[in-house]
This record gives sequence, structure tokens and C-alpha cells, in this order.
Amino acid sequence: MNPWTGKAATMEEWLEHLRLNREIMENVTYWHTQPARPARTAPFPPELDQRLSDALGARGVVSLYTHQAAAFEAVREGRHVVTVTPTASGKTLCYNLPVLQRLLTDPSARALYLFPTKALAQDQVAELQELADAMEVDIKTHTYDGDTPPTVRQVIRNAGHIVVTNPDMLHSAILPHHTKWVKLFENLKYIVIDELHAYRGVFGSHVANVIRRLKRICAFYGSAPQFLCASATIANPREHAERLIEASFALVDDNGAPAGEKHLVFYNPPVVNRQLGIRRSSVLESQKLAALLLRSGIQTIVFARSRVRVEILLTYLQELTKREFGPKSIRGYRGGYLPKLRREIEKGLRSGEIRGVVSTNALELGIDIGQLQACVLNGYPGSIASTWQQSGRAGRRHGSSVTFLVASSNPLDQYLIQHPDYFLGRPPEEARIHPDNLLILLDHIKCAAYELPFEAGDTFGGEKLVDLLEFLAEEKVLHENGGRWYWMEQAFPAHGISLRSAAQENFVIIDMTDGHRVLGEVDRFGAPTLIHEEAIYLHEGVQYQVEKLDYPEKKAYVREVNVDYFTDASLAVELKVLHVDKERESPGGAIVRQYGELMVTAKPTIFKKMRLRTHENIGSGPIHLPEEELHTSGYWFSFSEEAAAVRSANDMQSALLGLANVLVHLAPLHLMCDPMDICVVPQVKAVHTKQPTIYFYDRYPGGIGLSQRLYDKHDELLAEAGRLIEGCGCLSGCPACVGPIEEVGLLGKDLALGLLQKTAGAAG
Amino acid sequence: MSSLRDRLDRLRAHARPPEPALGGDADATAESAEDTGHSAVGGEASRKAVSAGDSGAGPAKPSGLHPALTALGVEEIAGESGSFLRRRAVYPLEHRHGHYVLSELTRCAGLLRPIAVRQNRVRIEADPAVAPADIEAHRLLFLDTETTGLGVGTGNLPFMIGFGYVDAAAGTFTVEQLLIRHPGEERAMLAYLLGRFAGITHLVTYNGRSFDWPVLTSRFVLNGWRPSGVEPGHLDFLHPSRALWKNTLPSCRLSRIEEDRLGIFRGEDVPGSLAPELYMRYLSDGDASHLRGVYVHNERDILTLASLTVHFGGVLEGRLGAEWALPSEPEELFRTAAWLDEHGGSIHAERLFAALCAETTPGGAWLLPAAARFKRLGRYDEAAELWERAASLAESRLLPSAEAHIELSMHYEHRRREPAVALDYAQRALGLLQRRTSLRQSDRTRAELDAVRHRMARLRRKVEATERLG
Repeated sequence: MNPWTGKAATMEEWLEHLRLNREIMENVTYWHTQPARPARTAPFPPELDQRLSDALGARGVVSLYTHQAAAFEAVREGRHVVTVTPTASGKTLCYNLPVLQRLLTDPSARALYLFPTKALAQDQVAELQELADAMEVDIKTHTYDGDTPPTVRQVIRNAGHIVVTNPDMLHSAILPHHTKWVKLFENLKYIVIDELHAYRGVFGSHVANVIRRLKRICAFYGSAPQFLCASATIANPREHAERLIEASFALVDDNGAPAGEKHLVFYNPPVVNRQLGIRRSSVLESQKLAALLLRSGIQTIVFARSRVRVEILLTYLQELTKREFGPKSIRGYRGGYLPKLRREIEKGLRSGEIRGVVSTNALELGIDIGQLQACVLNGYPGSIASTWQQSGRAGRRHGSSVTFLVASSNPLDQYLIQHPDYFLGRPPEEARIHPDNLLILLDHIKCAAYELPFEAGDTFGGEKLVDLLEFLAEEKVLHENGGRWYWMEQAFPAHGISLRSAAQENFVIIDMTDGHRVLGEVDRFGAPTLIHEEAIYLHEGVQYQVEKLDYPEKKAYVREVNVDYFTDASLAVELKVLHVDKERESPGGAIVRQYGELMVTAKPTIFKKMRLRTHENIGSGPIHLPEEELHTSGYWFSFSEEAAAVRSANDMQSALLGLANVLVHLAPLHLMCDPMDICVVPQVKAVHTKQPTIYFYDRYPGGIGLSQRLYDKHDELLAEAGRLIEGCGCLSGCPACVGPIEEVGLLGKDLALGLLQKTAGAAG
Repeated sequence: MSSLRDRLDRLRAHARPPEPALGGDADATAESAEDTGHSAVGGEASRKAVSAGDSGAGPAKPSGLHPALTALGVEEIAGESGSFLRRRAVYPLEHRHGHYVLSELTRCAGLLRPIAVRQNRVRIEADPAVAPADIEAHRLLFLDTETTGLGVGTGNLPFMIGFGYVDAAAGTFTVEQLLIRHPGEERAMLAYLLGRFAGITHLVTYNGRSFDWPVLTSRFVLNGWRPSGVEPGHLDFLHPSRALWKNTLPSCRLSRIEEDRLGIFRGEDVPGSLAPELYMRYLSDGDASHLRGVYVHNERDILTLASLTVHFGGVLEGRLGAEWALPSEPEELFRTAAWLDEHGGSIHAERLFAALCAETTPGGAWLLPAAARFKRLGRYDEAAELWERAASLAESRLLPSAEAHIELSMHYEHRRREPAVALDYAQRALGLLQRRTSLRQSDRTRAELDAVRHRMARLRRKVEATERLG
């Protein structure tokens, strides 16, 4: 360590130094070191085109990693292939190599690449073009997305060998206009789908249907392309690929890429009030660690779980380090920033000009920002797969890297930080999709009918197609004639259907500080809580106050302000059971669980003003916005009258609330879904059951199979909840288990545990 | 799990409420559509009923066509790939449609060459041999389609394809309208249409370049044809119409242009936007009388394409201000003159510009571009006259532009060599810009202000030098 500048020469040196820092080390609960791993290689396949091996040779690549060679071989055998390897293991070559090999020998062949975001697509084109240029061959690679100018579009349709796009564009622009893409579809040999793990949940369920449509169009033009997929580490890559593509896959998971030494440091903020179980804020601790890294000259990425946290951390960090770094060296990165700004930040990170970045999971995907040296996770990212994915942002093939996992006070974080073996010993989660969600399926059947009429005997998805077609014909969306179903509506169906969420349109945020400037956007789902009137909206560390929210026009007008608080909004939720599909009673009869359809109405009620840094409540105000209705699937369990009878209503309330607080964190862990996708609501006397009940529901119209899965895993879920509460070191409830005592009362912990042991214990 | 049917029904029950506003509006339009549909068809329908009865009594009643269709003269065409319906109406070339007579097509078609060259540039450059820019009336197809939806996506189906063509030898203009009774008949209709393309060099349309033709191309591909690379050329009147009338007509919809510029009054007409709705109603109840209005509307559209051919031919030929009256509004006069300039008609444009200069009204937005034209041609005095008018107009404006004053200042400085006058204009320009800045600040006005100050300093030196000499 240079004593004058405080900069570390190497990561090893910095880590040595850190181990001597008692103030930090006191809070480190576990230090995991992954040793460096040497490369395992295989020679270029003998049939590899000379031009290709020469071009690779010129870049210093003289052999393949074992997984690249295995993928090449599997593609050669004509199989659909899914490759699973960690970040920075050269996985793009797993699909680029066979595609380029084919294009070199057959210039009429075509390939379609799908990436979940535009940014990824653009990186890919640059890389492919570089290779083609090095080979001095005429292989044209183009991105085709919303930014592609109309004049270029026609050229791409006819002459692009490799078309790189995203599922949304495929859904709304390419498939509905497939007749303009005759050349592509007639000659389509490969469909490359990278970041396969990103296609899960609602988005994945939509994309699975877009792929059904894609395959249908290919069949119409007489092509049967091979699918080459790549995924970050998940537990079920082959199963996921097979569900998404509905075809059988070869799995390549033998990673031959080298990796430097990797340190994973579990960090638990110190307790400041033992009795109340209150720890120092994870935001402040993350900021401290990030500042330490940045000041030592280490390029660092900080991941935070919400947009608001990103902005808060960014503000703190910029302030802390403003003397050492210019204002543009530490940046934020999240959804809602406009594409141009994001490209600028990515470029700055690659060049090293930007020294630190605070991001949501938006940077979890393979966007090219180079490899950083250090990563700070503010809170457990919610899944094991995400954690590895985010920490993979720090890590080079040679030299060490470090990731800090800074636990927040929520139960799941506390459980993991104290049981590192649970985290390290567990396989990453499974990616799940539910492509036959009736609403999603129907939407895509409409789109598919628009693209090509359906014929008797056709299949599409797992439901009985003819019933769905007849339903749509009754709704006068389709017209049946001679055993064929034709689209017969004036509308263009893909326009009304967004693959990303239930929300159809985003809210645009307009800054009126100096003229009118579009600042960013928020999806409809986030709007009621993020940009209600008087909310403080943070963007690139600058505070804006929402002056007017034009709900019908989907616009929020904001003005720059400088205040010492941020806002936090609450939602009031009402539930109505529409239909019960499944029911089961626990052996002792103490708990009845049900699965079925729910109607949820949510209305934002009030917002609180929270002082920056101390996070104390300094005021509140009402929110006037219309309520939103959600028709979805849910699972709920209720306690029998006997179980309820021995407790006062107050005690029951505390017990249920405490239990719900634990379950809300555990459920996403079991489902590998975003915590936003599933909701938990406790009710002391539910309308439907008249009993104390805890509800779970999918936060997506029609449901996406999450609560159904929880219904099946009910016993396991409750057992885990019991273990978590029991294992918590606090006296009588804390934010890390059932919640703070202000919320669940002095006996909250005992009550929740008692309720579980009395009932679920009997069940077990 | 409940049955699929139950779930679908519940979905329907819950899918309805979230879109009350939209649904309500749609219903309202549907109802008014029904009204117009009935009133448009009403009287006719009874007349048709009689004639249908007549033909029903006749000996050789062809097939089971709906009486509303037989009354319109619709017949069934059966071919290799199935059948569809065709209606044919033959007009003598002496037929008058609004201001113009169809026989003028023969002469006017050739005059449209400059439009054709402009609109088919890419194609002509690619292969001049297959894409002649010469235009002959009998090699034009006047085309208009009615489709089930908007946009050019693959789900938009043209259910009616109408086209007209000239037979010079027979002295007729024929309109054919092809209709499919259900989507299964499309292939046969398209095959017939393809046959009609033989010998055709250009499609005459209104927005056909970006709508009718892309839709048809898509349908050909869907039915198994592949683009040959050779397409008919286009004569699309949407763009020329916008060039002339964008600022003087409330819209450039065909019906607006007909009434205000072509002397065509449709009377009761089913608006084209209702055609999809009416066709879908026909599909669901089989009552072909819904389609009567669509037939009439489509046929008139095709005749209007012929009228537009004559009109634009006449404009390019220089008839405005000769046989035809000049546009009454200066704005339109200017736009027409500028359009003629761009289409090789500068000689005829001259007459229009002369009329424009003779205008006594205070003038408008056209003054500066018109002056710029004279400046470009080196006719500075005429330009100066228009700048003078623009300048006095600017001075009466709340948020003035100083462009005319600056042009005049340059004019007097460099061409008339009268620095004192030039300085006076520059001085006034500065005043205007300052007034502008006091109301609205912008980087542009600030830059302009600097430039004017710079100009004034130079002119002052020149004036002083002249005074010293004098």
C-alpha cells in the first residue's frame, strides 16, 4: 500500500491490509476463498474454417476452452444446445463459432440472435463485426431494434446474415411483419438465445410464447433452425431451455475457462441496539466499504436492490469521495435511465474513466462493462444465482477479486449471513416459467393468428387449442371458415401486449426545472408508490419532487429540489376469493390450505417522509390515485378455530404478522422469483375463511404458477420459517426475523413461533 | 383446477370492466355506423329488393348470391384456385367526375412524368429498362383496397380490391371491384389481380406507396408467391396533394380534396374508416347489404384517382392561370408554384409567382421563401420587394423575426451599395431581436444579436468612410 496515496498496488495487497483492519474484520462473519482455476483447453476442431482459426489466432486464441469445443461438436451433430458457464468464460464463442463456420461455407444461411436488452445486442454486433472484418469476409451483422432507422431496416431484412434483436422487437415488429423477412425465415439455420436465465417468471412465460410463434413462422417458410442457447448458472438449465423452446437439448456445462482467485466476504453490520435487534444500516455499511475500495484505487461496482437505494447510495458515495474524484467518476445505473446515458456509463466503465458504479440488477446481465475488481452487494440479491451473477462482475481471469455481501436487517439476509454454509452449499435456484398462463397464452394466440391463420389440428401451448380458438371466435376476434381461424379485428394485437410486465405503458418523467426534459420512466406498477404527487424522485443522485402526476396521460412532472428526506409510500390491499381449485387439511386439522383464484384491489394510501441517513419519519401525506385491480392465482392457509381460540385477537394479529414477515422473505427464495412477483398478506379474520389466514398471490394477472408451487411446498415452507425464527439471536423479535417489536409487539417472536409449533408441529 | 371453459368464462367476466372508456366509445361508433349504414343503404335497399325479385323471377338466376350483391351487378368468378366475387362498371370516357372528364386521362397521363420520376427514383436507377418513366394512360392501374384493419402487418386482410383502367380503343374506363366472401377466397382473388398487372407500368393510388402496395405484397407472400424484384411503379397522389394543400385544407383526406378542389360531392357516403366494421358485420351475419356503401365508396375513390390524374397533369401543363383559375389563397398559390418549380415546371411557376407578387393582402409565411427563390435566381429587385413586405409585417408582430431586415441590410450593403440604408435596416433588426429576447430567451437569438451588432459596427465604419469621402 502506497503510504502517500493510500492506493493498493494489487488486490492481494489490499486484502492483506483489510485483514488487519479490526473495525471491519469484527463484522465479517465468514471469508470464503475460491482458489484460482487453470484453463482446460481443446485444439480447434479439424473442420474449423482456416479463415476462422486464423482470425482467432490473430487475437491470440490458439485453442478452445473445453466447453467451447463441446458446444461446437454438439451443434455439428445437429442438436439444440444450451451452454451454462459463469460470467467471463468465453461463452459467446460457444455460439459464434458454429454460426460463423456455417456462414463461411454457406453465405445464403441466416442466423437470428436474441438478447434480453438492446444494450447486449449492440455489444454483440461489435464483436461479430470485428471477427468478420478480421477474416475479410462479407458477413453482415445488424442490430434490429427500436433505434434502427427506417432506411436501414429494409437492407437488414434482405441482406443481413446475422440479425441481432430482442424478444420485444421480435414480438411486435418482426413476427407480425414476417412477409418482409422472407429471406431470413427461408434460410434461418440458427437461433441464438443468450442470457437464457433472464427469461423466467412473467417475462419468460411471454418469451416462451413468442418462441412458439417464431417456430410456427419458420415452419411456414420451410425452415427448422437449431437453437443455440447460453445461460448463467442456474440449477435447471436444460429443463429451462426445454420448457422455453419446447424441444430436447444437449447441455454443455463443463467450464474450461480459467479464473483468478475470488474472495467472498460475508459482512454483517454491527448491532447498535441488542435488545431491539437493530443493526447499523446496510446502506451506510455498503457505502463505507465501497468508499474504502474506491479510495484505494480499486474499480468497484455496488449493487442495490431498489432504484431508490441506488440513488441514495450514489448520493452518499459521490459526496464522500468528491475530493478524490470528479463528479462523473462515480455513476448510477438502473432501469429508467435513458439508453444514451447508459451507453455512456458502460463505455466509461470499460475505459476505466468511471471508477465506481451503483446499480440495480440491470447490470447483472452480460452487458459489456469489462471486468471490475471489486463488488459490494447491498443486501442479499434475493437468489443464489443472482448473487453469483452479480459477484461475477468482479473477477478477472488472472489476479484476485473480492465481493462483499453486506446483510440488511431482513430475515433472509440475516439467515444467510449467519449460515454461510447454507448459501455456499446450495445449488443455485431453478428458473421457472408458466407459458400456459391463460392470459399470456390467449394474448399470444391472438398475435399468432394475426401472423398466420390457425388450421384444424394445429397445436399451440399446453391447453386445448381448438377451445381457445372457439372462445376467440365468440369474442369476434377470430373468424372461422372451413376449419381455419383468421384474425378478424381492426387492431394490431402485439401493440397492446407487453412482454415485460402486466403494465402496458410506462410513465414518463418530465423535468420542468429548465424547460421540459424527459428524465426517465417508471413502469405502471411502480408509479403509484414512486411518483405519486409530492414524492421525492431520485435520478442520478439528484432529488426531484413530483409536482403533478397526470395518470391518464401517464406523465409525471417533476422539479429539482434539495431536501433532506426521501419518501416511502404504502399500499392498502383487499382480497376476494373467486374460486377454490385445491384444498388440503393438515393431519391434525389445525391448518387448512387452499389454492385458487383471487381478485386483489390495491390502492396507495399514504406516503411517509424519511430523513436521509437517520431514516426517521418526519411527516406524511395522503396519495390520491385510482385503485388497481388484479385477477390472479393465490394460495392461502388458515388456522382452525381451536388454534385461534386459545389466543386473543391481538396476540393472533402479532403472531400472523410476525409469520408473514418471515414468509415474505422465504417465499422468493424457494421460487427463485423477484420478491416483487409474490405478495404475502396476513388477515386475522379473513372474509373468505372467517379464520386467521395468510395469503400469497402472484403479482401478475392470471398468475404465473408461483403460489401454486408454494401450495405444493407448504410443509417445507413452514418448517423453514420455524427454523429461522428459532435460530435468530434476538430476544423478542427483530427486523431479522418476525419484524421489529414496534410492529409485532413484545411477544411477537414467541407468539409466531408458538403458533407454528402448535399447528405446523402437529402437522409435521 | 377448473375446466378450461370455466376459466375462459371467468376471464371474460373480469376482462370486461377494465376498459369501459374504450369499449363505450367503440360501441358508440358501431351504433352510429349502423345508422349511417342504414340511411345510406336504406332507400337503395328497397329498390334492390325489387330488382332482386325481378331477377329471381327470371329464368337464368346465377348461383345463390345475396340479392344485395346481384343488385349491384356482382358476379361470381371461379378459377383454378377457387372463386371470389367481381363487380364491373364500365364508364364511357365522356363521363364527367366533378370538374374533369375521363377522356382527358389519355392526354394528362403523360404529363405526370415528373411525379413518376421523383417517386420511383430508386427503381429507375436500379434498372431503367424495366422501369420506364414514360406514362401512358392505358398502362396505368388506378388502385384502391379496403382492408380489415390498419397498418401493413400480416393480419391486415384486403377484403375488397378495386381498380380502374382505360381502354382507349373501346373508349371506356372500367372499374372492377373484387370481393372475397371469406378469407379462404383470398388466393383466387389475388391470382386474378396478378393477371391484371400484365402490361401495367404504374399503380395510381392515394397513399398506395406506403399502404395498399405493402399490404398486397404481404398477401402475395402469405399465399406462396415470392417477390420477383420487379414491381410496378407508383404514382401516389398523397404526397403531391400534401405539397399543395397541406396548409389550406383542413385535412388532406380524399373526401376533403374532392369537395374543395375537384368539384366532387359524394352526398351520402360511408367513410372508409367504417369499411372494416361493415365487412366484419357481413362476415358474422352474411347480410351483404352492409357492403353496398363500401362498394360505392371504393368505386368513387377510384374515379377520384382519375380526377387527380387530370388535375395534376393540368397543373404540370400550366393550366393554372390559363384555362383554370389560380388558387385564391396566396399560401396555396405559393405552395403550388414551389411544387411546380420542383417538378420542372418553372416556366409555369413564373405566372404563379407573378400573381403572388401582385397580391395586395399583407402577405404571410410565404413571403420569405418566395423572396429566397428570386434571390437564388439573381432577381434581387423582385426579392427586395418581397423582403420589404415581410419586413413591415415583421414589425407588426409580437414575436418578430429579423430575417427580412437582415436580408435587406445585406441587399443595400453589397448590391445597392447604400451603407446608410443598410445600417438603418440593421438597426431595426436589432430592435426586433431585442424585443424578441425580452419575451423569450434562446441561444439562437443571442447569436443573432451578436451577428447584428457585428454587422452594425462594420456598416458604421462604411458610412463614416463614405461621409469623409463625400
